[in-house]
Amino acid sequence: MTGRARARSRGRARGQETAAPGASKAVEPAPAPAAAAAAAELVGRGRQKGAPGPFSAEAVLQISAGFQQVKLGERGGRRRDFQDGGINTRQAMEHVKDSKSGSSGHAIQLTANFFRIISRPQWVLYQYHVDFNPPMESRRLRSALLYHHEEMLGSARSFDGALLFLPNRLQNKETVLHSVTKNGENVQITVTLTNELPPTSPVCIQFYNILFRRILRILDMQQIGRNYYNPKDALNIPQHRLTIWPGYTTAILEYESSIMMCTDVSHKVLRSETVLDFMVNLRQKCGEHRFPEICTKELVGLIVLTKYNNKTYKIDDIAWDHTPNNTFTRGDKEITFRNYYKTQYNLEITDGNQVLLVSHVKRLGPAGAPPPGPAMLIPELCYLTGLTDKMMNDHIIMKDLSSQTRLEPEQRQGRLNRFVSNIQKNPDAQAELDKWGLSFDKELLRLTGRVLPGERIFQGSRSYDPPAADWSREMRGIPVITAPPLNNWLMFYTRRNGNEAQALLQTLNKVAGPLGIRMQRAVMIEYQDQQESLLRALQQNVGQHTQMVVVVLPSNRKDKYDSVKKFLCVDCPVPSQCVISRTISRPQTLMTVATKIALQIACKMGGELWSVEIPLKQLMIVGIDCYHDTTAGKRSIGALVASLNQSMSRWFSKCVLQNKGQEIMDGLKMALSAALKEYLKFNNCLPSRIIVYRDGVGDGQLQTVVNYEIAQIIDCIKSMGQDYSPKLSVVVVKKRISSRFFAHFNGKINNPPPGTVIDTEVTRPEWYDFFIVSQSVRSGSVSPTHYNVLYDTSGLKPDHMQRLTYKLCHMYYNWQGIVRVPAPCQYAHKLAFLVGENIHREHNMHLDNLLFYL
Amino acid sequence: MEPLFNPPLHRQRHQFVVDFVKRNKPPKVLDLGCSECSLMKRLKFHREVHLLVGLDIDGTKVKKKMRALAPVSTDYLQPSYDQLCVELYEGSVTERDARLRGFDLVTSIELIEHLTLADVERFSEVVFGYMTPAAVIVSTPNCEYNPLLPGLRGFRHSDHKFEWSRAEFKSWALKACSEFGYEVEFTGVGQPASGYQESVGFCSQIGVFRRLERGDDSNTLGGDDAEDVFSYKLLYSINYPSLCDNNILRRVLGSEVLYWAEKLKSRWMEKKSGEVNASCAPIETEEEGEEKHTVSQCESGASEDQEEEDEGVRWTRFQRRQDSCTSLRCVSVPLDVLWSCCPRVSTLSGSLGNLRRLLMDDPDVELSQDGDAVLVNCHEQDLEEEEAQDELEDSGYEPASRHHSAAAEQEEDWEASV
Repeated sequence: MTGRARARSRGRARGQETAAPGASKAVEPAPAPAAAAAAAELVGRGRQKGAPGPFSAEAVLQISAGFQQVKLGERGGRRRDFQDGGINTRQAMEHVKDSKSGSSGHAIQLTANFFRIISRPQWVLYQYHVDFNPPMESRRLRSALLYHHEEMLGSARSFDGALLFLPNRLQNKETVLHSVTKNGENVQITVTLTNELPPTSPVCIQFYNILFRRILRILDMQQIGRNYYNPKDALNIPQHRLTIWPGYTTAILEYESSIMMCTDVSHKVLRSETVLDFMVNLRQKCGEHRFPEICTKELVGLIVLTKYNNKTYKIDDIAWDHTPNNTFTRGDKEITFRNYYKTQYNLEITDGNQVLLVSHVKRLGPAGAPPPGPAMLIPELCYLTGLTDKMMNDHIIMKDLSSQTRLEPEQRQGRLNRFVSNIQKNPDAQAELDKWGLSFDKELLRLTGRVLPGERIFQGSRSYDPPAADWSREMRGIPVITAPPLNNWLMFYTRRNGNEAQALLQTLNKVAGPLGIRMQRAVMIEYQDQQESLLRALQQNVGQHTQMVVVVLPSNRKDKYDSVKKFLCVDCPVPSQCVISRTISRPQTLMTVATKIALQIACKMGGELWSVEIPLKQLMIVGIDCYHDTTAGKRSIGALVASLNQSMSRWFSKCVLQNKGQEIMDGLKMALSAALKEYLKFNNCLPSRIIVYRDGVGDGQLQTVVNYEIAQIIDCIKSMGQDYSPKLSVVVVKKRISSRFFAHFNGKINNPPPGTVIDTEVTRPEWYDFFIVSQSVRSGSVSPTHYNVLYDTSGLKPDHMQRLTYKLCHMYYNWQGIVRVPAPCQYAHKLAFLVGENIHREHNMHLDNLLFYL
Repeated sequence: MEPLFNPPLHRQRHQFVVDFVKRNKPPKVLDLGCSECSLMKRLKFHREVHLLVGLDIDGTKVKKKMRALAPVSTDYLQPSYDQLCVELYEGSVTERDARLRGFDLVTSIELIEHLTLADVERFSEVVFGYMTPAAVIVSTPNCEYNPLLPGLRGFRHSDHKFEWSRAEFKSWALKACSEFGYEVEFTGVGQPASGYQESVGFCSQIGVFRRLERGDDSNTLGGDDAEDVFSYKLLYSINYPSLCDNNILRRVLGSEVLYWAEKLKSRWMEKKSGEVNASCAPIETEEEGEEKHTVSQCESGASEDQEEEDEGVRWTRFQRRQDSCTSLRCVSVPLDVLWSCCPRVSTLSGSLGNLRRLLMDDPDVELSQDGDAVLVNCHEQDLEEEEAQDELEDSGYEPASRHHSAAAEQEEDWEASV
């Protein structure tokens, strides 16, 4: 079992709260060395960074043109629309205009982590346009002048320099006020009513969010990135020098039937050591020679907090040639970093030889000026947040962390209730809400979901109904559907692991029979425990007719694994299976391990393990995911996996390496064509239905998928032939969401059972979307997966779309149970990860029809 | 237009105060007319200040930016020894409030010119006569400079009630000095172009007042009021996390101790397992509950190599407990080893006795019965568990009660739903 590879493939930022790279917030226009004005990164890693949301800069000026265009900034500046608002895809789909709800299964009572926002009856937000004569340049000054007239405007107001929002209507439609500036200049201020915004207007929604942030500040919470945390309830994990701050994510949006706040418990992992401490430790551990390389790999991409302000910066680079004694231009003088921090913040820098960190400032300078260039940060004054890749792979750290952060459904619901009651109890927070005539529900939203009927698993001539979301027990001793006979295969091992390798071989033979896998004895090959000699052994022994290569690795060193996979996926295409010797060193568990390995070997060679009933004919399911390399060259890898047969047991897989600034779909278009051609070869016809499950779409990137990717997919299909027009559905799959559901059984709060579908109340009115809880978790709260059907000409009923999606979650062959996402997405994730992490090149096309990357 | 002053004048005034604070290190500082707290925001970095208080008549203005005075995230991550408490009040400088007495420094930057002359009198009485701080910094515009300001007619700000010449300022200041027992020194910021210096003076004139030491002062002043008056409204008050707070100290110390205990433990375990592999020497084990000390004191004055050895000997003091399945459960790390190994632990606790006392109250740290050692649990590398977690993060199994009523579901024609 490739424990290592699999452990890694769990990937970054699941489970623990590490600030997502996109979440790094505004950066202070801090010391920026004029010389190093590197080209600002416009598009990073193929993502749409400054997503051109529905709000454009010039729209702010067209005030009366319709409120949907107006953007309300918290403190001006650019804000990304993380909520993917204003994208209305449902209206184009006739068959879900009236209802997008399914009907199968039985009802289940749930609560969700949503709180309704209640406003006074007939509540309206009044939008005014404010004109200054003579015009005032400075926004500060404009606010100051306007706020002189408090008796007129009242204490509840929000003004961003041009637009004024009030909860109450002024007496006249147009009010003229007079102010005098410091210089004695008379200014006439004209306040004109331009709009009355109903509670559901997008501006109001933005406004609620801003108001809510104010309330969190009133509760003395610390903002880090987008969320707020409570340092007073910090949890320590001293053995790893970690501190966890509990906090909340909140987002207020218009959902199906009302405006609600979705709030979830979030944990921020912080470190109680500075970046300098970290660097010194690392240097001691890895030595002077390898330090720069390792240090860059560990630090780049991490988010830091500074000692002198509350901003977060992402480390983009390390300036090895800079120290605190370098200078930058401040005003019109040159000043050293050391002196700057001394005079400005009274902070003494003790280590004058430390190198500096570079953070590219993406925010525009004052008055829309270009970004002031990269900020240079002093390691001694910075604290790390989140976890490094190395820590993520350390299962001891992760175990200790999850023991502190994992919350059972009951605890989670308790925390959420406490949060809202804290707001209700805080007089200042209440005063702020009252001022605007708003309040919150006191209880979590109650709603009804449905539990879909269980799926029957077909395995060869037998079939069974698994009692839980797992059938590893049921499938024991039953032959799989098909498994190619294993006649010519090799096993590589080191002298030290000779016994383990022999034991594995014997056990594999023992377990293969009942599973219906015919297995000849492997050719055993010993290799020296060195990367080069392993590679040489592979080159000398793997031939044209080799069907499978098993490598027993003595440790989980990445370099050996990488070279095995590189050689066998690219140069010499043969499916391979790596096993770490420790995994097979315990006789008690060897049977279990060998069974898993036998199954894995079988499907890597094109075997089919089980299937579920798929009621649609001539259907091709496509899964797409991508992997973003945070370090080397910042390339992204897109992977596409497409089904080739009716039972969804054979798949075609392709990946593309995509360079900075390129859209992921450009390359995947070719992959989709290739998949269609392969389908034609397999079935003698093209599919009449195509359903694309697109994973890996970040917050705020939906617009790109809608505007660009769908058109690309349609183009690609058209190119197959003039009269070929299959039915097409495109579904965006999202795993990292903050919605949570709790089921109530006999007065106890539990996770919803697998197969729970939610398609009312907490969905969005402008989308055709639903949630499915497909997997089952042993501890902690289960997180549902969100499906958003962006495009659908299939005419498939919502109920069938939901059930098909759930069926596909049963088809991931590396797990004898139900997974979180449809199998093709999980396959695509696996492939992208292997390519991005280990082989760094496109795999050999001879492997396209095999699940070689499992 | 070219800025007249570089850095801007308001910043120069603040810098003047900052420099004064740096030189004199007043523990308690009060800023009158703090407005949006911009001066306080700079002063909070000077941790010799323990109490930083702002007062302004306009509470709304103060509230607007006051949260910027809160500790930043990193203040919680590594609390310092210095204490700092920030308080903000709404109120008038012409009224008394007992909470603002006895400060080391009171600043009044560009404030008095906004008061009527009658209120300036009351201001003197309240500040010099009632608050009686050790030092006061008063800045106000110097109207002799005004002709040099381009395009200026009248006062510099519409709300100014007066703008004084150097002589007027001096006479007010000297009067206050003689009345309330202070001495004053005149200076300013915003130098005019060379040549004008003598004729106009600084753009902002500043008086630095110091209280003259008079033996009977404090007594008589204290007796003035029979009762303490509280006329100001407290808007905001926050304590910075500090190691002087025993709870915080205990938390930080506890974390540090556990970190090092863990580190020492793994170093020792590595060493032990190395020995076992090398010589197959039997490890001394004990049944749970029984106490057996294998203490061998090391001789001092050893060479470099022996120092290593010494450590080894010391390690033998670790007690090991054995549970039924012969795997180690916990290791005890003696406090004196911790004390001598990690400098931060010793600085934080001050003395070994203090360390023990602090740890005893810490619920996160488990001490041995005699309180001489920290007990650390052993992480047995649990393969089984690792394997279980091996697959998809959230997958696992749990006998979910699945209703299978619809097992015999009728054949549906999905295609027909088009």
